[in-house]
Amino acid sequence: MSNIYDENSQQPPRHGLILLQILILVLFCLFAVRLWYLQIHRGEEYARKAKENQLRQEAIFSPRGLIRDRNGDLLAVNEPAYALGLVREDCRDIDKTLHQIAMWTGHDFNGLKKLYSKNIKRVKPFEPLILIPDLSFDQLALIDANKLRWPGMEVQVRPRRQYRYGMLLAHVLGYVAEANEEEMEKRPELALGDYVGKQGLEFMLEDRMRGTKGLVQFEVDVNGRRLQERILKHPQAGQEVSLSLDLGLQKLTMDWLAEEAGGVAVMDADTGQLLALATTPSYDSNDFSSGLTPAQWAKLRDDPLHPMQNRVIQSVYPPGSVFKPVVAGAGLHYGVIDPNETVNCVGQIKLGRRVFRCWRKGGHGKVDFEKALVQSCDVYFYKMGKKLTVDRMSEFAQACGFGRRTDIRLPHEKAGNMPTREWKRQRFGEGWQGGDNLNMAIGQGYTLVTPLQVARFYAGIVNGGKLYKPLLLMGEKPVVQGEIPLDSEQIERIRKALIQTVDNDRGTCRRLRTKGVVVGGKTGTAQVVRLTDELKELDDDEIPYRFRDHAWIAAIAEKDGRRIAIAALVEHGLHGSSGAGPVVKAVIDYLFLNKVRYKPEAKKAKARAVRQLSLNPIGGVDAN
Amino acid sequence: MPIDRRLLLYINWPLLGLAVILFFFGVLNLYSASGYRMEVGMNVSSYYHRQLLWGLMGVFGMIIFMAFDFRHLKTMAWPLFWITVILLVGVIFAGKTIYGARRWLDLGFMNFQPSELAKIAILIVGARILSKEREPLDFIRLGYVLGVGMILAGLIIKQPDLGSGLSVLMILGGMILFRGVTPRVFKTALVAIPALLPVSWLFLHDYQKQRIMTFLDPTTDPLGAGYHIIQSEIAIGSGGFWGKGFLQGTQSQLRFLPERHTDFAVAVFGEEWGFVGIMLLLSLFCIFLYQIVMISRDARGLFGSYLAVGVFFYFFWQILINTGMVLGLMPVVGIPLPFISYGGSATLVNFCLVGLVLNVSMRRFLFKQG
Repeated sequence: MSNIYDENSQQPPRHGLILLQILILVLFCLFAVRLWYLQIHRGEEYARKAKENQLRQEAIFSPRGLIRDRNGDLLAVNEPAYALGLVREDCRDIDKTLHQIAMWTGHDFNGLKKLYSKNIKRVKPFEPLILIPDLSFDQLALIDANKLRWPGMEVQVRPRRQYRYGMLLAHVLGYVAEANEEEMEKRPELALGDYVGKQGLEFMLEDRMRGTKGLVQFEVDVNGRRLQERILKHPQAGQEVSLSLDLGLQKLTMDWLAEEAGGVAVMDADTGQLLALATTPSYDSNDFSSGLTPAQWAKLRDDPLHPMQNRVIQSVYPPGSVFKPVVAGAGLHYGVIDPNETVNCVGQIKLGRRVFRCWRKGGHGKVDFEKALVQSCDVYFYKMGKKLTVDRMSEFAQACGFGRRTDIRLPHEKAGNMPTREWKRQRFGEGWQGGDNLNMAIGQGYTLVTPLQVARFYAGIVNGGKLYKPLLLMGEKPVVQGEIPLDSEQIERIRKALIQTVDNDRGTCRRLRTKGVVVGGKTGTAQVVRLTDELKELDDDEIPYRFRDHAWIAAIAEKDGRRIAIAALVEHGLHGSSGAGPVVKAVIDYLFLNKVRYKPEAKKAKARAVRQLSLNPIGGVDAN
Repeated sequence: MPIDRRLLLYINWPLLGLAVILFFFGVLNLYSASGYRMEVGMNVSSYYHRQLLWGLMGVFGMIIFMAFDFRHLKTMAWPLFWITVILLVGVIFAGKTIYGARRWLDLGFMNFQPSELAKIAILIVGARILSKEREPLDFIRLGYVLGVGMILAGLIIKQPDLGSGLSVLMILGGMILFRGVTPRVFKTALVAIPALLPVSWLFLHDYQKQRIMTFLDPTTDPLGAGYHIIQSEIAIGSGGFWGKGFLQGTQSQLRFLPERHTDFAVAVFGEEWGFVGIMLLLSLFCIFLYQIVMISRDARGLFGSYLAVGVFFYFFWQILINTGMVLGLMPVVGIPLPFISYGGSATLVNFCLVGLVLNVSMRRFLFKQG
């Protein structure tokens, strides 16, 4: 026991003590220098990195401007949609997470992976890359319950467009869909998964309706959980838009055209505002905004009736007899006819060796200007065409707005065609024939017009000659694009003739007669093919659908200072009056008598049957 | 037994004071490190609370370690060594496995790490052996001393707990350096140790290799192993000169900083108190170490000196390695910072060892008794 107190006087090694003190000094200096380097020399850089860790910014989506009709009824609204995104920086294992997403949503993993790698350069750090823009509620519930176990997954709520009447207004409103590469390239403010207008007014008014996104800054913890939020920039909603269209009238016209292929334009003759713009067959705008499936797309694309086509502005047709008032106007303008002079119609006219027939086999007998229009006498117009020739007819028609776009605020409008000698030489490499003049005078041949051009011209007849730009929005100032080069007396003469066409017992538009309303009109038949004699002998019902003529009717109506022009075309509708007349009559009743009359079911069924036949060329009359 | 008033008089009060101040700095920092922000307000875990309890137990341990004459440890050195060996072997057969390592003995009321005991044992046995050495160590004596250390270190590394095993060797190594070696041994070591380093690479686990690779270039794996280093440097660096203020450190409050109440606690301190605060902390640690050196110098007898040196290295290595790691100067190894990092048994041992050097200091003028 004694040895523990056994002391020696030896001192601890001196160099050892020095070593320990040196070690302390080294420790101090090493860390002091390092701390200076980290906290002072690079302090600002690290402070910025800490901020990047802590603070994130995210866009706040702005609701797209609402769309209403002229009476305030909502046509396009926004509803919340749930998008699934991936924040790369928070995600531990991208492939595994994508696999999980694919499993939950039924998407293909490779597709998601491709989408991910294609767009990864587009998202800013800590910004979610939108993989699935539209989750169903089932998917949302599943993902929301599990997403904390999958760091990086983020569900974003964003407004999605919803069209209350997707089928009724598809061609006017168009649709929005996810922005593509090109659009994102052009507009830097667009992010992946954003919706942009692709068609119709949604496309044309994109800048006005989109609004501007806001910006929110929030603090996140290491799990990406949001803590305090601060709004840096408030989002601005897109502008609301009111259409000049009348939803009720739109519904009515679409109903009358429902089983047909055709188009109707109803224009306020004193402003150019469109009250209805109907075209069938149609599609549902909502299908696009919620993401069209390849099957849906194929069906639309391959439909022989081209439902995507807006027949009022994008289809061109020979105008047939609805063109006769234009030619009549040209006759008056160039003074080649005396309105009171009569022409004897014997049912046909010879030009060289060719025979040009009047639609009425027996002829109309003595025909003056008014009777020629009222009874649509072809021979009268053949003679006028011969005198006018293409040069003057074309010049006059162009002054009336034919052969050029109306500049309606919708994309992909067609200009139609107003032929000239030069045009024919270039197009066919042959000169203008005398017979071409005759065909042109009755609206056949090379002349092609859109229903909207016809409506604008007829509006000019009723408003004293002004050609208004067709407008779709309320509050837009009327724009006069041109004037029909006729004096008021001459215009009045044409207008009276149109009214007689309705009022006269021999007029072709008797169907449109409406009590208390001054109605005028002109029917037309646009030949689809030159009917062979064999087909000519057939009854109407027996002619195969696709060989049947297009039915035109253009009308004017006025009451108590309200003046309207209507153009309607029904493809393969055979005769203007019976094919296109009923819808125009329904429009007049709606606008002036407040009567809503939909198409009778029996007629719909018949149209359906005819259409069915056309889609199935083997069978029926076609096989004979 | 009447207490000799000189015993209290000769206590190194600065050392005791520094230990207590550092401990309270640690608790304060722990309060911040265990808080995290919620959507509304913040939440504080109870680590600081538990740390205070452990500190209280530590003070009791410290008093116990001061109460007896340290020279009794001379006779207890070898029995303590063998008890430690038995416990370490016991761990291998009956230890509790946590995180894939068998390091703990379940004592019923607490989990006990014999490796902590081994650090105390090596320092006492080392003091016992080295205080007898009159000359710098030659190969034979060095081999003997290292051999004793290797028994403990080997058993610990087998658990596996490389960190604690190396700690044992480094405490002993520091004491050997203090004693000094013959020039021949020194020159040989100068050549042999660098030569053996590549060989030791072969014995490392994959995760240990990974850590070293990550240390060399943290950016290779920013979300994995390099994450600790990157976030730690951001925390410290973003503190700047004045710091972000108590409870204001975003790296810790938003939990970007991992292990922020244990291994990376000092990063929280650096973030919230800045260059000023952490330099103060560093200075306190240095004065603390310097006081131990003074105790070693003034100790009565070489055994006491060596005990103090052992305690010096016990603290020195931990401060160097932990702070070095947090500052991105060393690979990530699980070694806590004394008084600052949360840890029950570590706090207990820290105070006990402070008690041990205080024991040496207070008995520096005592001569043979009885």
